[in-house]
Amino acid sequence: MIAQTLDIVTTAAILYAVATGLLLVFGVMKIINFAHGGLMTLGGYAALVTTQAGLNPWLAIPIAALFGGVTGMAIERFVVRPLYSRPLDAILATWGLSIIIGQLITLAFGRGVQFTQSPLSGTIDILGEGYSAYRLALVGIAALLGLALTALLQGTRLGLETRAVIMNEDLARGLGINSGLVRFLTFTLGSALAGIAGALITPLSSVDPAMGVPWLVNAFMLVLVSGASLVSLLFACLVLGGAQVLVATHFSPVLGGLTIAVLAAIILRLRPQGFARD
Amino acid sequence: MTEARRLSLILAVALLALAAIFAGPYVLDTYSVNVLTRSLLYAAVALTVDLLWGFLGILTFGQSVFFACGAYAAGLVFTHLDFSTGNAVLALALGVGGALLVAAIVGWLAFWHGASALYASVITLVLPIVATQLLYSGGTFTGSSSGLSGFMSFDLSMEAWFWLAGGFLVLVTTAAYIFVKSDAGKLLVAVRENEQRCKYLGLDTSRLKILVYLACAAIGAIAGYIYAGYAMVVAPELAGFVFGTELVIWTALGGRGTLLGPVFGALIVDYESAQLAGDYPFVWQLIIGVLFVLVIVAFPRGLLPVLFDLPRRLVGLLRPRRAAPAASVRLSTLDAAETQGVEPGEGPALSVAGVAKRFGSLTVLEAIDFEARAGELVSLVGPNGAGKTTLMRCIADGAERSAGSIAVNGYDIGRKPPEACVALGVGRKFQMANVFETLTVAQCLQIARVRHARPSLWRRAEVLPLPEAAMHVIATTGLDKQLSTPAHLLSHGMKQALELAMVLALEPRVLLLDEPTAGLTKTERMQIGAILIELTKKQGLCVLLVEHDLDFVREISSRVIVLHQGHIVLDGSVEEVVASELVKQVYAGSGHAGIDHETAPAPKEMPA
Repeated sequence: MIAQTLDIVTTAAILYAVATGLLLVFGVMKIINFAHGGLMTLGGYAALVTTQAGLNPWLAIPIAALFGGVTGMAIERFVVRPLYSRPLDAILATWGLSIIIGQLITLAFGRGVQFTQSPLSGTIDILGEGYSAYRLALVGIAALLGLALTALLQGTRLGLETRAVIMNEDLARGLGINSGLVRFLTFTLGSALAGIAGALITPLSSVDPAMGVPWLVNAFMLVLVSGASLVSLLFACLVLGGAQVLVATHFSPVLGGLTIAVLAAIILRLRPQGFARD
Repeated sequence: MTEARRLSLILAVALLALAAIFAGPYVLDTYSVNVLTRSLLYAAVALTVDLLWGFLGILTFGQSVFFACGAYAAGLVFTHLDFSTGNAVLALALGVGGALLVAAIVGWLAFWHGASALYASVITLVLPIVATQLLYSGGTFTGSSSGLSGFMSFDLSMEAWFWLAGGFLVLVTTAAYIFVKSDAGKLLVAVRENEQRCKYLGLDTSRLKILVYLACAAIGAIAGYIYAGYAMVVAPELAGFVFGTELVIWTALGGRGTLLGPVFGALIVDYESAQLAGDYPFVWQLIIGVLFVLVIVAFPRGLLPVLFDLPRRLVGLLRPRRAAPAASVRLSTLDAAETQGVEPGEGPALSVAGVAKRFGSLTVLEAIDFEARAGELVSLVGPNGAGKTTLMRCIADGAERSAGSIAVNGYDIGRKPPEACVALGVGRKFQMANVFETLTVAQCLQIARVRHARPSLWRRAEVLPLPEAAMHVIATTGLDKQLSTPAHLLSHGMKQALELAMVLALEPRVLLLDEPTAGLTKTERMQIGAILIELTKKQGLCVLLVEHDLDFVREISSRVIVLHQGHIVLDGSVEEVVASELVKQVYAGSGHAGIDHETAPAPKEMPA
């Protein structure tokens, strides 16, 4: 019972960390960044390189953010910007970028599955139940990410401008907000978050050139049911991630893997705005 | 070019393609024949992606599932029941039936009234993921991750499989080509361009999308069935997301909306993949990825149109461009006896009782009651935010109002969607000109007639019969000289006239006009006014008009209803309204003249 509750909380935290970057980009730019999976892979390999170089595994997180962010800048400038008016095409072009990133990584590192060193090993005793210390640490990291993003959006001028662009881009531009710059920074930040997410999940699984793809679809569905709100994303991660854990433990892991996608599709059919309040 | 010549030309090209397929095994080496057989089948699936995405505007990631449906039906039946002629027929039936069932479920989920394009794409993305997982978890029945192999199949030579696959591809490509160029095929483009207008022209767009989706599923399943028979192995990857996106990539590279582009895109890329994948697997994938991004960003129409445009442009440099082609369609006036529209039921043409509309706690309309007879021209006036356009919406779409009832021609509209309201006799012209931008004037009018005359699936009509009222609008405004002009090239006034003609082509009993003269010149306004008077007097239409130009209202209305803050404050003759002190106050805010134009012109207001 305790183990299962912890599973649900930690799964939700991981999903939250993976989906925030995608949510940010979707909220501001109204496009789905299918390169998110590729950028996560990039973050994973950044973590691999970091630990292989003998650096502190925690350093993998900022390094992955740097890799993701810089790649994101290039993607925004050369691929996403020409496609603002064609959102469905932006999905396709970013998917193409995902393929490119995957193939470049394959050329550089080979197809094989590799493992990174976890920054935290061992278990922590919680109410008599030994639980992976790293998974628990992820809850804290995800919470930190969420709080930092909320602070950025609610407490800074950039955040105010970003929220203005989310609500009404034309009006925001009319008021002199440089929405192009807001989009550029958002995409960079979203890509950096994808890199961080990639670095965070590598100690849990392994690193391979296609590691981002399975996460992409789940993150995508979570974002669609949450609209553009970090709070409803948290809610969606808890509900759908929880359902995934329950189905996987009580029925079958295969069905568990489908839970988020199928549930999200049904939720959107019944309530097109998903978990968003409006 | 006459219709018969056009069709025989298409058939001649198809015969040439068949001849090329026949010659294939004699000029190609065994390896190429083997690989190309697969590519030919993939191309048939890419064709369905193009029909859905390029023509209908539905970006689909899941066509791989229907291919796998056909393939697994063959694999499962031949593995578990053994191969026989009877079982082969059974497998084909199961494959196509299964694909149709899956497509029906997906269609119900993805194409319901009000679903967004993004949501439909999401559903098609979830589909292959679910399908692959189900195949993985099928144990020995589906062969799990290794799939099924070693089953018996048709005893055909490699050449025969090539001919079968090629013949199938030529058949479906020709059929698809004839279909998209036909009158019915134009409907796909119309739905992609402007689904809302289609619905308000009485077309059930959800049904159309589902029908096309079902047909595409069946084509995919047959291709998969042939694939399993020839390859004698089926694997879960056939149903996968990766194959699904590859189909989209081939379609985008070749050129969406061209049919032939995706076919050649699939053939070339898949064939080259097989050639190069052995030596440079990752570099090849990388090249395709780069090419794909480049095409999406820089050449969204794909490479085939670019290839075709080049020589055309070179020729264009040397030779002056030919004049626009003459109209391929002649207009004719329908006999008035045939244009009665819906049989009138009991009572008034339009009856609105106790209608209210609320958005949460905000009440936009409250207790709206009025009736209008045939032959009446009722103007709805009132300041911005009075609820005029909202009332129009409530009459044209049964799902809009929060309370009350509306009857058209004596039939209650209930909660019916717009297309069903059109069937009862409602015709709605939008505030902003709402036409099919890339279609020509004649095609726009044809789409408006689809409700009355079922379009041919393979031919193009040479004559377009229109009701007298629509013909009148077309002749008065000079649209008949621009029949082959694409709608987006028309002036604003011409677009308004075209939309009015389209709505009149529906043969409505109740005509809803939302500021039909907004942004028109004085002359154009007079023309429209004269047409409206004639429609009500001669044709007995009931017209409900939202208008800010009060001079115009005064000239043409037989009755005026004044709305203010969601309530009817006055319902009477033009004289009564003009004389009303209350109306002056409502309209101008304070006492001085608002309605009476002659003393002080009312400010031109923006559309509400």
